[in-house]
Amino acid sequence: MIVLGIEGTAWNLSASLVEENGVIHEVSSPYLPQTGGIHPRDAAQHFSNNIGYVIRELLSKIELHEIRAIAFSQGPGLGPCLRIVATAARALSLRLKVPLIGVNHCIAHIEIERWKTNLTDPVVLYISGANSQVLSYRAGRYRILGETLDIGIGNAIDKFARSVGLQHPGGPKVERLAQKSNNYIAMPYVVKGMDFSFSGIMTAAKEALSHESLEDVCYSFQETAFAMLVEVTERALSQTGKSEALLAGGVGVNKRIQEMLQMMCEERGAQFFAPRPEYMTDNGTMIAYTGMIMLKSGIETPIGLSGVNPGFRPDEVEVNWITE
Amino acid sequence: MDNGVVTEFKGAEAVVEIYDDIIIKHRRPKGYRVQELDLRLRKERTRSEAKIQSDARKAGVPTPIIFDINAFSITMERITGRALKFSLNEKICEKAGESLCKLHLAGIAHGDPTTNNMIYSEDKVYLIDFGLAYYANTLEARGVDLHVFFQTLASTHERFEALKDAFVLGYGKRCFDVNEVVDKVTEIKERGRYL
Repeated sequence: MIVLGIEGTAWNLSASLVEENGVIHEVSSPYLPQTGGIHPRDAAQHFSNNIGYVIRELLSKIELHEIRAIAFSQGPGLGPCLRIVATAARALSLRLKVPLIGVNHCIAHIEIERWKTNLTDPVVLYISGANSQVLSYRAGRYRILGETLDIGIGNAIDKFARSVGLQHPGGPKVERLAQKSNNYIAMPYVVKGMDFSFSGIMTAAKEALSHESLEDVCYSFQETAFAMLVEVTERALSQTGKSEALLAGGVGVNKRIQEMLQMMCEERGAQFFAPRPEYMTDNGTMIAYTGMIMLKSGIETPIGLSGVNPGFRPDEVEVNWITE
Repeated sequence: MDNGVVTEFKGAEAVVEIYDDIIIKHRRPKGYRVQELDLRLRKERTRSEAKIQSDARKAGVPTPIIFDINAFSITMERITGRALKFSLNEKICEKAGESLCKLHLAGIAHGDPTTNNMIYSEDKVYLIDFGLAYYANTLEARGVDLHVFFQTLASTHERFEALKDAFVLGYGKRCFDVNEVVDKVTEIKERGRYL
């Protein structure tokens, strides 16, 4: 069974052909802002300009009749970007007369990693630009055990980075600067149960720059914010009694958070998994793969229900492909 | 201690030694975080937990009596009963609402009111683990508490709606602005979304 999936929630326009045995081909056209952060209109314009090329490239690798379904990222994400992708997916579905499948972007991040790591029932720390959640499967849904009360960790780092003149995306640059310091400056640490908040630390980091070095501030920002995320992940392991922790989302590429999670898991006798970077950042393959398992369990999205959902929460999706 | 450890419980942030009549809660170092932060969090949390817990008890909230405090450990009364995580019905949930309301009326937010941190005993719901508690009587603070509680209900218990309703009923017995707090929960939930 071959499924074509298109991802396009924020910065990466990416489409992929997937079958049971693996990935046939993936084509991506990432949007990189010239200045500032991701501008929804510019990103959508980029998607609109490049979607034709991405899909044509992909279709040249295969006979059209081999495609069994079209999956697309229905949300969460930036509305203008989501609409470009949904429009392309509907057109392909109608033209090829195959089912359409709207995929939740967060769930796709989890499913591709379960596929690549062979995990059965992990606690998932999902951290990207806009999303920061701790999730775990129970009784037909991925439950959100904890999440950010304001902004995602990636946005917090990127905004701080922009304020000191680092070009988007700021995350990798902040990581490199942080590696040059081990001088910790106290920063606000906000954990409320399994929820957490990053707006205070972003402000504190900007203020600290008036009397501390950029390296020290980057180091302290990461140490504090990541400790918050590791703490809630440990809390989730404790609350659910599960013994596997999985890292997902683009910020998961950061080596320091991987190391901290690894240490936490070792201390409490749990298993930690972090997949390869290409599966942690946004990619078309995760949408195609998730579309495939959804199709196999009988899920299709009629055109009438294929509208985009910028605030699509993972716990809204009924998960019927996991058997307990 | 001459009565010997009966059993040891490893929580997310502390190790609890359980004896016959008392428990000792130790905050042990976490290797994953920098030492300055680790010491700060363990000291702050131990001190504030002891103070807030004794204030809550003075205000009539069912909580264990504190006997002794050190830099990273607290010795307190052992409450015998079952954590709500393991035994929960509408009646117990209503009692949980009453206890949390009492705490909020005393100007304290629990910070981590999960079903792990509540024990049903002698027809009361005891609140334990004040490690993340803080002084606040704002709608925001109270809303976050209810949000945390509802999330553990939704994520680890069946019959979420019925249990939630029972909790709200218990909470509203003395906290007459219960509807405003519940509205706040909805707002907090929406704020955490991808926007």
